[in-house]
Amino acid sequence: MNRDRPSQALIRNLTFPQRPHVLLTLAILVFAGTPWSHAQSVNPLEGDVRAIRGGAGLFRAQCATCHGADAKGISSIEAPDLTQIWSRRSLSAAAVFETIRLGIPGSIMPPHSMTDTENWMLVAYLQSVAEAGVIGLPAGDPAAGRRAFVENCSTCHRAHGLGESLGPNLSIVTSQRSLESLIASVRDPDALVGRGYKLVHLRASEGEEITGLIKSEDAFSMQLQDDTGRLRSVNKANLQMIERLSGSLMPAFARTQLGDQRLLDIFNFLQNGAQQ
Amino acid sequence: MSKWLEKVMPVLLASAAVVSPLSAQDGPSYEDILAGFSNPERWLTYSGDYSGKRHSPLQQITPENVSGLRPVWTFQTGTTTRGRGFETTPLADDGVLYVTGSNNNAWAIDAHTGRTFWRYRRNLPNDLTYGASAPVNRGFGMLGDRLFMVTLDAHLLAFDRRNGDILWDVELADYRVGYAATLAPLVLDGKVIVGISGGEYRTRGFIDAYDPVSGEQLWRFNTIPGPGEPGSETWPDDPEVLAAGGGGTWMNGSFDPELNLIYWGVGNPNPDYYGDARPGDNLYSNSLVALDADTGELLWHYQFTPHDLNDWDSNHMPVLAEVNWQGQLRQVVMVGNRNGFFYVLDRVTGELLLGTPFTATSWARELDADGRPIVLNDGSQGCVPDPWGSTNFMPPTFVPGQDLFILTARETCATYVPEKPADAPGQSNFGGTVLIDAEQGSGALRALDIHTGDLVWEFSYPSPTFGGVLSTASGLVFAGDHEGNFMAFDAKDGRNLWHYQTGSRIWGAAAMTFMLDQRQLVLIPSGTTLTAFALPD
Repeated sequence: MNRDRPSQALIRNLTFPQRPHVLLTLAILVFAGTPWSHAQSVNPLEGDVRAIRGGAGLFRAQCATCHGADAKGISSIEAPDLTQIWSRRSLSAAAVFETIRLGIPGSIMPPHSMTDTENWMLVAYLQSVAEAGVIGLPAGDPAAGRRAFVENCSTCHRAHGLGESLGPNLSIVTSQRSLESLIASVRDPDALVGRGYKLVHLRASEGEEITGLIKSEDAFSMQLQDDTGRLRSVNKANLQMIERLSGSLMPAFARTQLGDQRLLDIFNFLQNGAQQ
Repeated sequence: MSKWLEKVMPVLLASAAVVSPLSAQDGPSYEDILAGFSNPERWLTYSGDYSGKRHSPLQQITPENVSGLRPVWTFQTGTTTRGRGFETTPLADDGVLYVTGSNNNAWAIDAHTGRTFWRYRRNLPNDLTYGASAPVNRGFGMLGDRLFMVTLDAHLLAFDRRNGDILWDVELADYRVGYAATLAPLVLDGKVIVGISGGEYRTRGFIDAYDPVSGEQLWRFNTIPGPGEPGSETWPDDPEVLAAGGGGTWMNGSFDPELNLIYWGVGNPNPDYYGDARPGDNLYSNSLVALDADTGELLWHYQFTPHDLNDWDSNHMPVLAEVNWQGQLRQVVMVGNRNGFFYVLDRVTGELLLGTPFTATSWARELDADGRPIVLNDGSQGCVPDPWGSTNFMPPTFVPGQDLFILTARETCATYVPEKPADAPGQSNFGGTVLIDAEQGSGALRALDIHTGDLVWEFSYPSPTFGGVLSTASGLVFAGDHEGNFMAFDAKDGRNLWHYQTGSRIWGAAAMTFMLDQRQLVLIPSGTTLTAFALPD
């Protein structure tokens, strides 16, 4: 197939499974006759409901084993969360298309020999499950947001060159998560604690107590970042006590402490900086 | 001819005349393999002997001194394994290790130094099917001066072990349909026995025997019967379904020379999760089969998971032992199964002696009077073991005397969502999706009393693990985990005595051990490395 020529030839060369999934067949037939190829940067099927449905079928058959049925990834095999990939602003639909086609050499991600149409359908599905970030600029004052960030967040978080590194870097968090979920995390941080931020309280045999975030763990040791930010190796054999805590190291910020408008200012500052 | 050549040629010819008949017998014979561990400087077949116990008689490294174990050398393969592990067991003979790796690389390695004598790399087609998703290999078979290796494009190769030359190359099946081969060939007297991978595609499994000299096929046992053959009554009356019924045979078998029977596990029926198109028990999927080694004729079978819907292949190392069973000396075969049960069968008759769970599986908790599982939850209701199973092909070990069966157990929680598949040749054909709860999952090294299946001891791992197990007569157990630790335990109580971080998860491989210059070496593959350990000089 001449992959550079968006033409009918490309569609004629579509290969069909012998007994294809009915829905998928219909979707492909509907799209056959439309001239597009992988060379374009915009997905011609983005937002098309039939394409998304067909792409979802392809995803379940070919991708879900590693990336999970919900596309949110399986960390134990280092398969990434595909709902988050679009938050990298430089990532185009064409780049995702090419990654599916060629795989990632040297990694577990294999090449796929599906047709261009099927590939665009898969990209359409991935676009449809993209975790929506904050749309537009939150109604706030970026200068006030910057001050509020420094005051309330920067002891643990870094963003746009300010702050520390105990918690996740927040520079692009507004493009990864919706305003509602960001606000929920500030008001109730214990509800969702990500991998690498699970909290543990330890007592060493000589009596020292350590509270920290579990960065890694095996049968014999833990790799922690303690609450001072220091990276520490802990030998389990030298511990009197291991208490795994369900909550987050982050304190909850009530409205009385950090009002809604101040929060919007912070998100405005984060989004504003991310867009620069 | 140069003067130098004129001078040396007669000497070369004379020495060739004297040496070649000797060198032809130089490598190990069938009798040598049959003798198992009797020569401590050799490890000649996948499990070290035909029984599959992976229990070495060596005693230099003991529970008392194992804390002093140190790496001696590390060999780097230079080839990565997409999504899987470095799963091989090296063979050892005359100070040379014969090692297969991922992507059909293979080497002869100096056991003293880890340096290479020769390297082989197969030029694989770029449209591999199953072989692309699991580009692994579990080892060579060996006989005389020949080595045998299977390939990801479903061939069997014979090598000259001195230089890696290919002596013959036969196709087992067409890889384009979905076939591949990954196991270590089982070499018997005048036979090389191999199985096939690809049960996730529209394939039909088999076990084959080949002539080691000519590569000629001697017999084939099809794991899915043809129309009208015994076992076909457990399938729909549809030749197309039978011809694509799965039943891979991708893990090694064991051999009883006195009964002249080979014992081999059979994999899942296809499609993996969607059973509506294949009503019935689907023999001989998910079974152990006992075959006559000379003819491939089926003597008996036992099906662990009738009508499997969870991809719980029964491709495990069958472990053979002679044990005192309720006052009677019996020849048994033991299997720790992916479905979460531990089984003991009489290997002469196939009679089930014990079948009991070794994990918290909610799929079934007991077998009925006929030895069938009483299924409580087929997976569609949530939280049964994931498709990688409660254990998998990583070899277990058997400790005679203590009568312990020691295996890697995986505790996982998955929900199965079956869906009618496309049924396309050359395309994977799982028939649905599995939702794995990533927050739940752990592993353990578990020692079971073979008479009851009771847990004698365990050592916990933080994640579901895929490392195999070796034991030695000095009372040690060696195992690997998903976090990359290679570890030694006291076989009596499971106490951890030593551990070493290899830098990559130990996946599908178990350790092997042998003597070299009066020093006991223990080898483990991990990631892209093979590391040899010994006590300090």
